Parts: sequence; C-alpha cells; structure tokens
Amino acid sequence: MIASEVRGSLADALLLSRALLRHRALAVLRDIKSPQLYFVATLAGVTLFCLILAGTFIATATLQAAQAYGLLASIPAWAFLVYLFTDILIAFGQALGDLYLSRDMPILLVMPVRVPSIIAAKFVLGVVQNEVYVAVFLLPFVIGFLLASHVAWWAYVMAIVGVAAFPATLYAALVVLTIAALRIIPAKAAKETLLLVGAAVPTLFWVLSFYRVAHIGGDLASLRLPDPPKWLPSTWLGNVLSSLAAGQPLHALAWMAVLLGVTLVACPLAMAAVASGFAHGWSGAWATPSRRIRNAARALRPRLPVLWTCARKDAWIFLRTPQLWFNHIAALGFVGYLLVGHKTQTPLLPMTVQLAMVQIGFVSILAALNPGMIAISLERRCAWLMKSSPLLPKEILGAKLCVAYAQSAGIAVVGAVALGAGYHFGGLDVTALALFALLMCACGICCGILFDSAFPSFEWENPNMINRGVRMVIPFLSSLGVLALCAVALWICRLALHGAPQGAAAVCCGLAGAAAIVAIVVSASLRRASSNIEALEV
Amino acid sequence: MPAQLLAAEKLVKTFGATLAVAGADFSVYPGEIFGFLGPNGAGKTTTINMMTGLMRPTSGRTLIDGVDVACRPVEAKRLFGYVPDEPQLYGKLSALEFLNFIGDVYGLDAATRKPRILELLKIFELSGEQSHLIESYSHGMKQKVALCAALLHAPRVYFLDEPTVGLDPKSARLLKDLLRQAADAGAAVFMSTHIMEIAQALCDRVAILHHGDIVGMGSVAELRASSAEQTLEEVFLSLTGGSNHTSAPLFGRPA
Ligand SMILES: Nc1ncnc2c1ncn2[C@@H]1O[C@H](COP(=O)(O)OP(=O)(O)O)[C@@H](O)[C@H]1O
Ligand SMILES: [Mg+2]
Repeated sequence: MIASEVRGSLADALLLSRALLRHRALAVLRDIKSPQLYFVATLAGVTLFCLILAGTFIATATLQAAQAYGLLASIPAWAFLVYLFTDILIAFGQALGDLYLSRDMPILLVMPVRVPSIIAAKFVLGVVQNEVYVAVFLLPFVIGFLLASHVAWWAYVMAIVGVAAFPATLYAALVVLTIAALRIIPAKAAKETLLLVGAAVPTLFWVLSFYRVAHIGGDLASLRLPDPPKWLPSTWLGNVLSSLAAGQPLHALAWMAVLLGVTLVACPLAMAAVASGFAHGWSGAWATPSRRIRNAARALRPRLPVLWTCARKDAWIFLRTPQLWFNHIAALGFVGYLLVGHKTQTPLLPMTVQLAMVQIGFVSILAALNPGMIAISLERRCAWLMKSSPLLPKEILGAKLCVAYAQSAGIAVVGAVALGAGYHFGGLDVTALALFALLMCACGICCGILFDSAFPSFEWENPNMINRGVRMVIPFLSSLGVLALCAVALWICRLALHGAPQGAAAVCCGLAGAAAIVAIVVSASLRRASSNIEALEV
Repeated sequence: MPAQLLAAEKLVKTFGATLAVAGADFSVYPGEIFGFLGPNGAGKTTTINMMTGLMRPTSGRTLIDGVDVACRPVEAKRLFGYVPDEPQLYGKLSALEFLNFIGDVYGLDAATRKPRILELLKIFELSGEQSHLIESYSHGMKQKVALCAALLHAPRVYFLDEPTVGLDPKSARLLKDLLRQAADAGAAVFMSTHIMEIAQALCDRVAILHHGDIVGMGSVAELRASSAEQTLEEVFLSLTGGSNHTSAPLFGRPA
C-alpha cells in the first residue's frame, strides 16, 4: 500500500539519489558487452593513476632536493587549476545533460516528489560522476605529493576529504550558471551557446594562465609560480595541500575550513536557485527550435553519386550541430598552449623541426580522434536507414572519412601554420609540419573509425555524450602509439642524415618513413572497419 | 499464379537462449497485401529486421524477387522500401533534404525525383514544413516523412512495421489507399500490425505469429472458416490464447 503521509523533501532526495546512482551504476555494469574492452580500459586507468603518482612523487622529491620551496608551495594550486578548467568543459555538458536534457526527467517530474528533491538527487549524481575523474587524475597527484613530503597519516585524510569536496562547489557553480544562462539566452540557441561557451572559455583561460607560467624566470631555488586567482576553490585546495606538505597544519585547517564552508553553503544555495528557476529553464531547454532552411528547394539538385550524397548529409549534420565543433576549439587551444609554453620547454628539449612535428602530430590526433570516433555513432537511431538502403560499406565509410578528414585536416593545417609562424620556421619547415599533421590526422581518424565501427554507441542524447567514459582511452592510446613510432622514424632519420644541408633530407626521409607507417595503419584499420560496418546489426 | 516477389524461407532468430522467431516461412505475391499479425513480442519486428538485412538470421534466408538479401544485399535493398516501427530520421536535415538524399541513394534522376518528392509531401500535408529541420517534427510527421522515403523510389516490395500506429485517421486512410494502389500496380506489401480492423479491411492474406511461430496463415475468410470463429479478432485471440482474463480484479473503488 502507498504510504499516505507525504514524505519530507529530504527523505525523497535521499531515496531518489540512491535510486539514480544505482541505476547509473547498473547501466554501466550492464553495458559491458565486451569484457576485454573493459579490462583494457581499467588497465589504462590504473596505469594512468600509477604514472601520475610516480611522476608527482619523483618531481616533488626532486624539487625538495633542490630546495625549490617557492615552486613547491605554488604547484598544487596550479595543478588543481588545470583540473578545474578541464572539468568545466566536462561538467558544463554534464549539468545540461543530467538536468535538462536527460530522458528520465519527464518521468521524475510527474512523480509525487518535490522539484528540489529531484534537483538534489540529480546534483548528487553529477558530483559523484565527477568524483570518478577526481579519483583518476587528482588523487594520485595528492598522494604522490604528500608521500614525497613525508607527512603524518591525518594529512592524507584531510587532503582526500578536501579533494572529494572540491568538485561539489565547482558543479554547483556550473549548474547555477547553466540555469541563469537559460534565462538570458533564448532557448533557441541555449543548448549550443552554453556548450560552446563551456568549451571556449576554459580553453582561453588555460592558454592565458600558461602564458603567465611560461614567462617566469630565475633559478630553480628562488622560482615561484605567479599566484592563481584567490577566489577559486582550486587555489584553496592547493593551499591546503602545500600547507600540509610544509608542516603548517593550522594554515591547512584554515584553508580546509574555507573550502568546506563554502561547499556547505554554496551547494544548498545553488540547488535552491536551480529549483526555483527549473521549470522555466527546463521547458526552454527542451524546446527544439523550428529551424527553417533557406533555399531548401534548391536541395533538389540533380543526382549526386552515392558517396557524395552521404558525405553531403554528414557535412550538413556537422555544420548544424555546434556541439561537434568543441573538439576543434580544444585542439586549436592546445596550439596556443604549445606556443606560450615554448620558452619553458626549450631548455629541457632543444627545439627542432622534428620536435615541432611531433607536437603538431599530437594536436592533429586531438583534432581527428573525436570526429573519427563518433562517425558511425552519429547515425544514432537512424542506423536502420544506413543498413536497409542499398549502400555499400565502403560508400558509408568513404563518406564518413571525407567529412571527418575535411574538418580535422583544416584544423591541423591551421595549427601547423600557427605553430610554424610562432616558432619562426621557414616555408619548407612549415610545409613539413603541415604534411606531418595531415598524416597524423589520417591516423587518428582511422583509429577512431575502427573503434567506433566495432563498438558503436547509438543511445545518446547529445553527441558529446558518445565518448564519455572508457570509449576514448583505447583509440587515443593506439594513435599515440603510432605517433611514437613516427617520432622514432623522424629521429632515426635525423641522426642518420645529420650532415645533410639544413637537415632537409633528414626531414624528408623522416616524413617518408612516417607516411609508410601511417599507410599501413590506415589500410589495415579501414579494411577492418569496412567489414565491421557490413556485420553491424541494428 | 505469378512468381512470388518476397519469399521468407525458414527464418530463425535466437537472442542467446530466447527463440524470437522459430522458422517463419511464407511468400508474398505481386498485387498482394500481406498482414503479419501477432501480440507484442511475438517476433514481428525481428522477422522484418531479418528480411531487410538489419539483422542476420540465425538460419534461413530471404529472397526479394529472387535476390538473396544476405548474398547480394545492395541489389536486394534497391528493390524494397522500408518503414520501421519507430521512424528515427536525421534531425538536422529538412524533409526536402532528407528525401533528396534518399533519391540519390536509390539513384533517382532529377526529372522524376523533384515532382515526386513535392507530390508526396503535398499529399501527406507536409509541404508547409518541408524546409524545417526534422528534429522539430512530431512523431506522426516523422512517420509520414519515413513513408514518403519508402514510397519515393516506387519499390516492388514494401516492408511496413506497424505503419498506422502514430498516424492520424486521415493519414492512416491515405496510407491504406496508397498501399492498395501500389499493390494494384503489382507491388508486394508486407505489413505487420496488431490492429485487427486494418488487417481485416486491407490485407489479402494474413499470418498470425505467436511466440515466434506462425500459428495460422491464409485469407481472413479461410482463417475464419478453419477455426469456426466469427471475426478475425476472435480467430487471433483463440490462436494466441489471450481471450481468457481470469486473474483477480485490478480495480476496486478508489480509496
Ligand atoms: N535485440 C534484441 N536482443 C534480445 N532480444 C530481443 C531483441 N530484439 C527482440 N528481442 C526479443 O525477441 C522477441 C520478439 O521481439 P519483436 O520482434 O520486437 O516483437 P514484436 O512482435 O512486438 O515486434 C521478444 O521476446 C523480444 O524480447
Ligand atoms: Mg514490433
């Protein structure tokens, strides 16, 4: 029998949070179609954790040996700041996805529970999902830093509590920003605008911050990073960590009190704000604008070959879905980061054409991987059409390749020219950069498409959700593997042909070697992808 | 009798331990509308998915005008039009762009394509929205666009999975008329439904599917005669064992 008394909001919120978390966990577990895939992904996660831990430990110990106390005091805040900016990118989409665009919202809203309870449950869900990233990226950093600083056990407890509380404030702020934005920006453009701003602002912030970091000078012992903004929770958490490491527990406690106090005040306030404006924002976010295509009658053009008509369809979808552009903003942002960090990198590793080629190769992989990895999944529940029409797998694949390559090759070439200009390279060297970038684009796209054709994901609400979680890891690591092979080829040629005039011969030979490697990867992965598409069942 | 246009030969599909379709075996001839009846979960969609190449059958094969769907998929797919039960289309294209894309895929030349697309959009009353993105269409409108796409290349075989579910009465009537016209012009229509009135009024022959087995097949009159029931609905219920609802009453007086 249904209990007749009305449950308190808090009880509702607890009940809903438990249920939502459980559903999410079950969905993840029941999604395991290929145990090997999850094994590899988990292994990659654990490896990443260990690498960050070991790297932090060694770096911290080295700085301590050099008595670089200034750096030691300022590094944690910067590390958390980097995480904060990266997380804004992820959490913005998540706030929108969990609150407004989530498919269970209509069901929850017709249930006899209060809206604030639903918001609270969704908030908990969002924060807990963020904690996964915290566990993989921040926890090893914190542990490594404290291990090298020889602190007592309670320092670990304190730091871990602080790190766990950190994403809550961030998420609260983003959720409030989202709802505020949905009131200001017309619903027509809200989804797209918010996600674009979420991509562009952190990228810009990131580049600007690194500009300041990269332009500090002096010797190691007296070096100190500039102070990051005081009002950011990442700075408070950084201060907790550096105070703990420096043996100032009272300072650490004070910063911890600030962090937890703000979290405890900010989260309920944020939830109240969101709950009060929710109905408005929700209906706004759901309204799909009725967009009219101008000159649509011209679309009835004479007959196009099948591959081109498929490519035109995919190109239209790309151009009309701004969420698909984020990836490219982030990739270009990385070029900016390379340029401003250039001076600090060069003392460690002298700048050569080959090094710049590897750098732009990495940017190209960033630009190419995502378009490749969502190419098939982008068909979403329209995959029935692809499978029931008289299309050859190679036509489908060809169209996907053209569209993905056109986007990312553009970004890669622009990036190569920008990087070459920033490094004051000559025309030949810039050409080499651009050619290598184009090669690595092809490699990234093929690795992505191969994976996507084997494990397509057709159940998503916005395209940024396709690559959530473990999907990104395997193709990313395999493209990086190919990049590493190509880098080896470049350096072997450099060493072997060192005496050649201006090193042009070395660069050309290296490029040829890289092209051979990429050609093998591309042809093998495309053959597999084509047979995967043929075997795909929808 | 003319040669069959669509032949399903002992189609079997298992999902792990579940047997979804247990040897569907039937033919559809030119000029015929064939109704595939069955309760929810009987295996109708799975059968259509196998016949259209969306799923591989565990065993058995499908011939479209003699062309095996598994061996020569592209050739076979050119011969049929398909409307799924839930028509999901490219939301970021307008109806015009979408139908033009379909025209390209099926190789329609510009001269026949343009008037046909505009005519289809007009009779389904979509002309006013033809330049709007499909993502803003209602369920029924999307279904109409999917129907236009299936009708566009005037195929010889039609597969329709519960085609009237989301349509308003006027469009449902229009669809029935169009299917009859297509059949009269020599096409074979295969449609699944669980709406008895449609089957009774429209279909020349029906097959009744229950737990993946075809438990009855023939014209409505034949089925009625063989089972001594009065209506197709009674035949259906007696064959699928669903008429005796004897559990405890669910509804009492509201408290
Ligand atoms: N992809 C699938 N995986 C597992 N079982 C499925 C799948 N698709 C359908 N089934 C099962 O096959 C049976 C037939 O389903 P379906 O063909 O969709 O029925 P309907 O006649 O309602 O269209 C059902 O028991 C369903 O649970
Ligand atoms: Mg069905």
